[in-house]
Formats: sequence, C-alpha cells, structure tokens
Amino acid sequence: MASSYLPPFEGTGEVKEGFLCPLCLKDLQSFYQLQEHYEEEHSGDDRHVRGQLKSLVQKAKKAKDKLLKRDGEDKPETDSYESFYYGGVDPYMWEPQELGATRSHLDFFKKHRAARIDHYVIEVNKLIIRLEKLTSFDRMNIDASKIRAIEKSVVSWVSDSDVPFCPDCGNKFNLRNRRHHCRLCGSIMCKKCMEFVPLPLAYKLTSGTREALSVPGSPGQSQSPPTGGGGGSVSGMGSRRGSISSLSSVTSMLEEKDDERIRCCCHCMDTLMRRQQKLEEKDHVPDIVKLYERLRLCMDKVDERAPEYIRMAESLNAGETTYNLDTAGGLRMEVQKYYELIDALSKRILTLGMKEEPQPHPKNLQLQRMVRYTATLFVQEKLLGLMSLPTKDKFEEFKMKRKQEQEKRLAQERLAAQKRRQDSEKNRPASSTNGEPPQAPRVPRMTKAGGWLPSSDTLHTHGELDDPMLQQIENIRSFLRQAKAAQRHDEVAMLEENLRQLQDEYDQQQTHLAITLSQRLAQEESLQQEELQRLEDRKRGKMKHRAQSQASGSTQATYTWQGSLNLTDTGSLHREGEEENEEEELTPKAERSPPSMRAFPALTDQDEESPPWLGGDVEGQNSASLNPFKEEDSSTVEEDPSNPFSEEIQKEHKEVANGKKEYNPFEEEEEGGVQGQVEGVTGNPFEEEEENDEGNPFKEASGSTPPGASTNPFEEEGEAAMPDVDLIEEELLLQQIDNIRAYIFDAKLNGRLDEVELLSENLRELQRTLQEQNSKTR
Amino acid sequence: MNVTLAVKQYISKMIENSGPGMKVLLMDKETTSIVSVVYTQSEILQKEVYLFERIDSQNRDNMKHLKAICFLRPTKENVENLIQELRRPKYSVYFIYFSNVISKSEIKALAEADEQEVVAEVQEFYGDFIAVNPHLFSLNLSGVARGRSWEPTLLPRTTQGLTSVLLALKKCPMIRYQLSSDMAKRLGESVKQIITKEYELFDFRKTEVPPLLLILDRSDDAITPLLNQWTYQAMVHELLGLNNNRIDLSRVPGISKDLKEVVLSAENDEFYANNLYLNFGEIGTNIKNLMEDFQKKKPKEQQKLESISDMKAFVDNYPQFKKMSGTVSKHVTVVGELSRLVSERHLMEVSELEQELACQNDHSSASQNVRRLLQNPRVSEMDAVRLVMLYALRYERHSSSILPGLMEELNRKGVSEKHCRMVTSMVEYGGKRVRGSDLVNPQDAVAITKQFFKGLKGVENVYTQHAPLLQETLDQLIKGRLKDSQFPYLGPSSLRDRPQDIIVFVIGGATYEEALAIYNLNRTVPGVRIVLGGTTIHNTKSFLEEVTLTAGAGQAERLQRAGGQPNRR
Repeated sequence: MASSYLPPFEGTGEVKEGFLCPLCLKDLQSFYQLQEHYEEEHSGDDRHVRGQLKSLVQKAKKAKDKLLKRDGEDKPETDSYESFYYGGVDPYMWEPQELGATRSHLDFFKKHRAARIDHYVIEVNKLIIRLEKLTSFDRMNIDASKIRAIEKSVVSWVSDSDVPFCPDCGNKFNLRNRRHHCRLCGSIMCKKCMEFVPLPLAYKLTSGTREALSVPGSPGQSQSPPTGGGGGSVSGMGSRRGSISSLSSVTSMLEEKDDERIRCCCHCMDTLMRRQQKLEEKDHVPDIVKLYERLRLCMDKVDERAPEYIRMAESLNAGETTYNLDTAGGLRMEVQKYYELIDALSKRILTLGMKEEPQPHPKNLQLQRMVRYTATLFVQEKLLGLMSLPTKDKFEEFKMKRKQEQEKRLAQERLAAQKRRQDSEKNRPASSTNGEPPQAPRVPRMTKAGGWLPSSDTLHTHGELDDPMLQQIENIRSFLRQAKAAQRHDEVAMLEENLRQLQDEYDQQQTHLAITLSQRLAQEESLQQEELQRLEDRKRGKMKHRAQSQASGSTQATYTWQGSLNLTDTGSLHREGEEENEEEELTPKAERSPPSMRAFPALTDQDEESPPWLGGDVEGQNSASLNPFKEEDSSTVEEDPSNPFSEEIQKEHKEVANGKKEYNPFEEEEEGGVQGQVEGVTGNPFEEEEENDEGNPFKEASGSTPPGASTNPFEEEGEAAMPDVDLIEEELLLQQIDNIRAYIFDAKLNGRLDEVELLSENLRELQRTLQEQNSKTR
Repeated sequence: MNVTLAVKQYISKMIENSGPGMKVLLMDKETTSIVSVVYTQSEILQKEVYLFERIDSQNRDNMKHLKAICFLRPTKENVENLIQELRRPKYSVYFIYFSNVISKSEIKALAEADEQEVVAEVQEFYGDFIAVNPHLFSLNLSGVARGRSWEPTLLPRTTQGLTSVLLALKKCPMIRYQLSSDMAKRLGESVKQIITKEYELFDFRKTEVPPLLLILDRSDDAITPLLNQWTYQAMVHELLGLNNNRIDLSRVPGISKDLKEVVLSAENDEFYANNLYLNFGEIGTNIKNLMEDFQKKKPKEQQKLESISDMKAFVDNYPQFKKMSGTVSKHVTVVGELSRLVSERHLMEVSELEQELACQNDHSSASQNVRRLLQNPRVSEMDAVRLVMLYALRYERHSSSILPGLMEELNRKGVSEKHCRMVTSMVEYGGKRVRGSDLVNPQDAVAITKQFFKGLKGVENVYTQHAPLLQETLDQLIKGRLKDSQFPYLGPSSLRDRPQDIIVFVIGGATYEEALAIYNLNRTVPGVRIVLGGTTIHNTKSFLEEVTLTAGAGQAERLQRAGGQPNRR
C-alpha cells in the first residue's frame, strides 16, 4: 500500500496526490469529491483503517516537507487537500478581540453599603452632637457634681448593676476595679479599657458642626449661641492651665473630675479618631501631588508638541519649505524646556522629604523613585527620538538638492505626461491645506496620478519663497502648451484660468514683499541708529560700571548676573520675545503661545529670588520692577505686544531719558547674560543648549549692527561678529554636547559604565573642539 | 482567542477605569504573576501605576494621595484582607476587581466593611490564568493528581482557571474529554456545572460552529515532557527553566549582576518574538547576525570623532544602539549558556537517542545505545534516568526487555535511589496500563509505513523527529475524525461540523513542544484557532517532580487501601 504513494512522494505530483482514494486509488478532483466518494464506496470498511490511512497520507507529506527543508509557512501542500486556500493565522496575528466578559457587583455593593453607611453616619453624628453638648459649658468653673449631672443628661448611663464584668476585657468589677461610664454612649468599662478625648480634639471635631450652625445664624459673629462657651473656654483654659493643672491632677485622683478631657469607651474613641483623620485629610494635598500634577501637565504638553516638532524637523531635513527653520527651532526649544522641567520636577519629587526627620515611609520613597524613574524613561524615550534640525547652511543645501530633484522629476514627469496625454483625464483634486506636512504638494508631483494640472488652491498658501510660485507658473505654462498640442480645449481653458490666477497671486505677493522689505529696511535703519546711540551710552556706562565693579569686589559675579536676569526677564519671556523678533524679520509667523512658556520662569524661581540690594543699583525706573513680568507689562501696554522691538526701543528711550545712569542695563544684558548663563548651567545637561540656542539669535541680531560701530566697546560681543559658518558649527556642537549629556545621564542611570566612559570621552572631545573654535574666533 | 491580549485588555481597562493620578496596584501572589507575565514594569509605569503591593503585606503606609486598584483572586484570605484594608483604608479610592466569580455574601461583607465609602468599583474581571503566549496559558499548579484522581483542593482551582479562560475569551464551549482519564471527566463535569450555574455569564453571541473544549490527561503522553528540546523557548525552559517568562541565570558562571534574572517576553522583545520557535541552529545564526549588526552600530572604542559629521553619525545611531545593547547582551548570554550546557551534558548525543527511543522501533539498537550512553561518565544523572525512563515506557512489555540490566547500570553509575525509584513511578504514571491512545509501539499499518518512510528518506533532523501525541489528536479533531469512543462529548449534543475555535487543556501540564505544535497548526490550518493550556508548563525536571508527587500519593493510597482492608476484615 505504501508503494502506491511513492510516486507522489518523490515529488512528481503536487496537489493531486491528495485526491486519490486511499482504498481504490481512484483519482478524484477535489477533497470533497474524494470524501463523498469515500463515504459512498467504502463506508462499510473499517473506520479505523481509514483514519490511519488518512493520517498516513499526511505523515508522508510531512516527512517530505521536512526532507525538503520547508518551513512551516510555505508548505501549503500539507493542507491543500484540506481546503482550497492556504495557511492559517499566526496566533500573534489573531485579529483583535473585544474585552472579555465582566460582571459588576457595584450596585449590589452600594446597596449594602448604603444601609451600613446610614447607620454609621447616624452613629457618628450622634457622638458629635453629644460631644458638642459636653464641651459647650465651661468645665473649669463648674463643680464635679454639676458636670456629672450635665453629662448624665446628654446620654443615659447604663446602670451599674447591669454590668458585672467589663465588656471589653472581661474583668470583674469590684471596689478596686471600678466602673467607668463612657460619656458619649453611656456604656460601662473598666479603667484600663477607658480612653479620653482631650478637649482640643473635641473642639476640633465639633468645629465642623459649629461652623455649619453659625453660618445661617450670624455670620459675623464667630461664637454663636449654642457654642458660646467653646471659644472662650479654650482661651480661658490656656491662661489658667498653669495654676489648675497641678491641682486637678490631685483632685482627679480623688474625684474623677475631668477638666480637660472627656471619658469615653474605646469604640467611641475609635469612631472619633477616624472622623478626625478624615477631616484632616480632606483638605490636605501633599507636595508630591502638586508636583506630580505639574509633571503630568508637562508630559502631556510634550506628547502634544513633540510629534509636531518631529513633523517639522522631518520636513525641514528633507529640504522642504513648508515650515520655517526658526519656528522649528523655537518649538524644539520649547519641547526641550519641557524636558528640562520634567527632569527638574521629577528630581524634586525624588528628593521630597529626604532631608526631613523622620524620613518618610520607605513606600513613599519608593513611590518617589518610581515617579522619577518613569519621568526619566519618558525623557529618554522621547528626547532620544527628537531629531536635530539642519543648520542654516545645511538647510539651504537641502533646499537646493530638493529643488534639483524636483526639477529632475518634473522633467521626467513631463515626458511621462506627454506619453500619457491621451489617457490622462482627470485633474487631481486639490489636496493641500495650509501648513500641511511634507506631502503638501507645493510643487506638482501629481503627474503620476494622471493629470498635468496642479490645482490652483495650493498657490494661495505660501508666500515666503518665490521659487515655487514661479515654478508653478512655469509648470502651468508648459502644461498649457502640452494641452494645446493635445487639442484639449476644456483643459486649456482651465489652465489659462489657473495661470491668470497664479500670476495675480504672484504680483500681489511681489508687491507685498516689496512693502515688507522696505519696512524692514526702515526698521533696520532705526535699529542701527539706536545701536549707535546705545554704544555711546555704553561707553560711558562701562567706565562707571568698571569702577563700580572693582569697588563691589567679590559680589561682582552675582551682581552682574542678577542684573542680566532682571532685564532678560529671568525666564524665557524676554528671550522668547527676541525669537519672535527674529521670526518677524524673516516672515510674519503665528505667535507662539506665551502662556505655555510662562510656566518656565516658575521653575527658575531660585534665580528669581533676587536680593533686595540689587534694587538700589538699578536705575530708578527699573528698580521699581524687580519682577520681570511687571516690567514687561508696563512697557508693553502702550506698544504692540507682539513686537518686542518696541519694548527694546522703549527701554532704550528710558535709558536715554535717564541719561547718565550708573550703568547701562543693556550692557549688562549682553555680557552678564552670557556670563551668567555659562556660570549657571553647568549641572543640567539640558539647560546648556537652550541657553546657547537662545543666545544665538541674539548674537546674530547684534551681529547685524554696522561693522563700523562695533569697535572697541564691543569686545565682549566679538563672538557675535564671527563668521556665520563657525557660528552654526558651534550651534551644532552645542546641540551635540547636549545630546551626549543626555545619553551619559541615561547610561549612568542604567549602570552601563563603559558607555559612560566612552560618552564622556566624546564629550570632552567636543568641548575641546568648541573651545578651540571659540579661541580661534576671538 | 488571544489569551495574552485578553489579560492585557482586562488590566488596561482596570487602570483606565481609575482615571488619572498616581496609582498603586494591590495584588495577591497569584495575580502578581498574572500581571507580570503580560506587562513589563515600564509599560505599566507609563499608565501611572507606580507601586505594586501585596494585599497581605503589612509594610504599607497610609498614602491617601494614591488610588488603589485591587486585582485579587476571590479567595477567603484575600476577602478577609480586603475587609481589614477597607476598615482602615490606606489609599483614597479603591477599585476592586476579582479574577473570578465571587459570592454575594462576600460582597456583602465587603460592603459592610466600607464604612468610609472608599470603594468606587467592584467587578469580576476573569483574568485568572497565566497567559504565557497568545495561544498558551498555564495555571501554575503542580501536583494536581493523587494517584489517578484529583488532589481535592486543586480541582476547584483548576475549574476556576479554566472557566476564567472561557469567560475571558467569551467562549461557551462544548466539552470533550479523554475517556481513559477519570480526572479529565471530573474536570469536564466541573466546568460544565459552572457554565450551567452561571448561565448568564456564559450567554455570548452564538457562533455558527460552537467552540470546543478538549480536556486531556498528561499521563496519556508521558514521553513528550521527557525529551530534550531544540527550539528556543522550549530549550530555555528545559535547560534553564522559564518561570512566568523569567529565567534565573544566577547559576551561570561569571554572570553579570543585571543579567541574573532576565525576562523573555515576545510582547516586547523583537528578537525573542522572531526566534521563539526556531531551532537552536537557526538561533545561532540569527544571534550572530544580531551581534554583527550591533558591532557595526557600536561606537568603536578607538574611534575618534574627528569631524562634526562623525559626531553626528554617532549621536544619531546612539538611540538604536542603546536599544539593541540590552537585547543583544541578554540573548547572547542565554544562548551562550544553552550551548555550554549542551556540550557539557552531551545533549546532542543524548537527544539523538531520545528521539530514536521515542520514534523508532528498533529494540536491539535502542537497548545497545542506551547501555552505551549510560556507561559514558559525562552523561548526567538526570539524562541517564530519563533515557532509562524512555526505554521503560517504550519497551515496557518487550519480550527481551533489558530494563533490570539498565537499572543495575544506573546503580553502578551512582544514580541516587530517589531517581531510580522514579523510573518505576514513571511507568506507573504513563505506562501502557494507563494510556488510552497508542502513544508508542505502533504495530499497525500507519506506524509500519511511517517507519518505512523514515528509513527511506534517511536524513531528517534527528533531533526533532518526535511529534507530540497532541498534534496527532488535534489533527484528527480538526478533521472531525477524533473517535467519540476515546474522546466522548460531555452531554448529549455533539459537534456536527469541523471545529473552529478549540481550547485544549492538559491536566498535569502541557509542554512547550506541544505549544509549538499548536502554533504550527494555527499557522497552517485555515479557519482554525487553537489555544493550549495546562495546569502548568513542564520541563523534564518539573515533570519528574509532578510524577513523583502523583505516584507517591498513589502508592500511599494503595498502601492505605491494602493496609485498611485487613483491618476491616
């Protein structure tokens, strides 16, 4: 029997082999036919044999598969006689499933709880009301028997004869082991099982109800009738405690008079303590929660912003001009600010309560560690995915490359289009909206889809570069020619229409550009003038300042830094303004949201705690506004807030007005700013880059001052005047340094020491390069 | 039908339900394993769960700023602990999830303890099993049998586990069981009882072909867990021991501190996911490629970063490099250790003989080879015993059995008494007397032809000739040819069509070799989804322990009976 299977086994037949009837060897077309045939013809045969034979066929094939070293995936023949399509599904690929069965017991639970809670709440309230009654009179001045009478009136006491044993510990009551009554529930217990509610606690517990009662009656009067004695007795007690306590300790021994406490059983005490705990916890928000909430906020922001940035960076790195390089830079900075904030916040959480005595519970510390760990994981994961931006030069290069590519493609497409003219019917619908990521068809890429006609919609969007527009016009013209050649009049008409629109648009843009250009020129001119003026101011200020700084000696460093902080708005607001300024110069861009940035100054609050003596040194107007925000407010009220120049200008005016002040704050800003940043940042790996990044636009801005002006007094600013290429290299270097620091941090965290070494080696290398570069430019 | 996903969905739903804020996950010993198998720490940290606590841990502080998610088995102790917890709540809110059906009275007791109204949710989420792979689950129960019947406490537990799988997958199955095993029948009835009792829960959308639950007994195939394995996951478990997807590498010579315990989870380890079912040779190649890849990316020690572009390349590669380095070091260590063990224990040779014993029918050559290997001093005690066991199972009733001689050989080798006794225990556990199917010694037409083919083609991978009995059984089942006489339905109705969704449960534990077989069936047979489960997942060591427990108890039982009878007389 086996031999009959040999031929297929040797690999001659493929699928057919399975359809041979194993008993009569009749060749059948399909599995089902075979099965039918089998059931008809051989149903009387031994089923067992049949099963065996069936599996035999399979075995043989499996053996064959193995022999031919086939993987499980591509051995369809094994099952081909089973079905007419191949393969099952890898369990890892099984389609998603809905959530498994669940059953809620909440309703049942709540029902039973409600019954219980009602009972419990009533109990508690009863106790509180009694407690209030017990504390509503002045216990000090009433004698014991009267107190007892009042106490008995609050709750009926269980009669002594009913309780021969202490219900809690079971000891027998006798002369020595006397009975004590709980003043809150009236039950009896022995001395050992008895507890006391101190009066202050009693007041605290009843204060809630007291307030509730006092509010509707007389809001102005804190001591409303029912609680009249309360407040008074507290103060009274405080003043009298000294004289009474010694006495009462003696009397209480004899008389069981409780001046400052109320007897109660442990059960009532338990209930009261729980209530107290609840009251305490109600309004208490621990520091960790506050910090944690801020941390989450930052994480959410990053989750929101980072993808946006990555989209921008990708687009820019591809040489597209959908986004502005500076906007992306700004966004990168913002995201990195958040990282820094996350880092700082999680560090704060980590060290929370570390210095306190006693140390927090180990679980609390563990929680803090875990939060910190999560934050670092978050930073690692997201920051490492944060690609760098191209430098200006690189960007230009990319742009060129892309343009060339596009042109090449365009040429190809044109050729292809010509070939395909006949069958290309439809115009591709407009698909881009403003600000869309890379795919936005600024340049016609759509020829492949069939049409040669770029939609006119895309043209309204971007005015920052002329090229695409001209290119577009050019394209359309060529399309027009093609269409004409193809004698497709409807399309020709459409194309012409488009062309007209385009040209209109282009003209408009040109005029607009010209206007802005002239505006900018004017602005620059005024800026230069200001700069000149400022220089003179500075020269004068500098002399004075030098003298002063020598005098102030050791405080100098902090002094200058403070000055700079003061004027640079401590946080990023001012810097942000400058960035915006930058952007504005190039293209008017949507304002970045200042509120989101406003969170940062809070972080650097340590810096903000500027010593008061500084105020005296700064000139009159500024001294009033140590708070940088205030200053900005005052200066931006009159002027357009979106234009930071105005602020600067205004300040300039102020200075001019103030004339011969002790020193020029602007100078401080320049030199102190740089200095302060360098000094201030060493620890934090994230900080550096951003500070330097922020520094850069600034430098560039000052670099634009006429060279003639930047002679002697600008020595500190010499850096700014260095060639553009070097500057960018430095930018990149700083970026890399920053990245490497993040990696080192990460590696250290994971205990990969060899990597740390390697990385720090690289870091040193980089820093050396940076220094060399700096010295060279100097 | 994906059991991993089912548990994951349950857990993420729990976390989702509790809203934002810092959370603590309160679990018991078993639910800790259940959660840790499907989620890594960092994954769950991202969901704002920062602490993992045991409900029975005394060392917990008041942390009212945390929300507590309680995922507990509905055991008496857990409920008691929870009542205590609610009386004095340590956290602000409690979201309570039981992994199985809980009684009304217990809910009531909990409700009465919640005087401070801290409970915000009480639900049953049926994640009461360890989801090892998407198609493989375990209950982590060992020693389920006492002789030939259930260990009394474990039958309810197994029933709970199995019903929770059904609920998590939303399947209300028909049940078939292995007739030769009384335990299988008992379990089937027990599951059926639950389905009847909780009919509301099991009221799922009807599918055209109802799902099928097949309950088998390990004793029917005692050979599979005795074989050495050569696919990655199975091999790791056999040689190093996989416990909840974790391997303990602390005994590996010269292991670095952070690799003492490693996690192998296909969920977030791409290399593992891709190589889980590949054989050792292929893994060797893959790991070599991985290393080379890694070396390329690894920043060279001497590499001076001359230019900015060097620097940039380095920085750009770093994240990838970092991600890889963890995986690489882990798998290189694991595979390194595996190959060390293979050569140290002569496993190639041992395995070849094992396969010969399991799959071929040549007594004289087999007995010769066993004898020869037993005399080899480098074959370990365990391997020697297992060879003798395989021989004993295979040629149990062979006319010229040399088993006594082999036992002598074992003694001479210095194998401990305990291990020698195991051979008898094994025969008792999985011998012919017990088996319901033809595991070995096939004298019928199929087997003979099989042999014939084998001889014909000659070259096959000698280490992976063996296919577990389960594969054959399922093959028959899928084709609708599994005999009702051997695997009857529980209840009157039976399946008319070919089954589509199949859940196989092996009392006494499944193996990774069987998991692989099921995996391949899933991949190759269209329209069929099979999930395999067992009271545990065995390697040889754990299987021997299981057998010892079972047989030991069985002997005690018999002795008792033997001793009891005279008394009665």
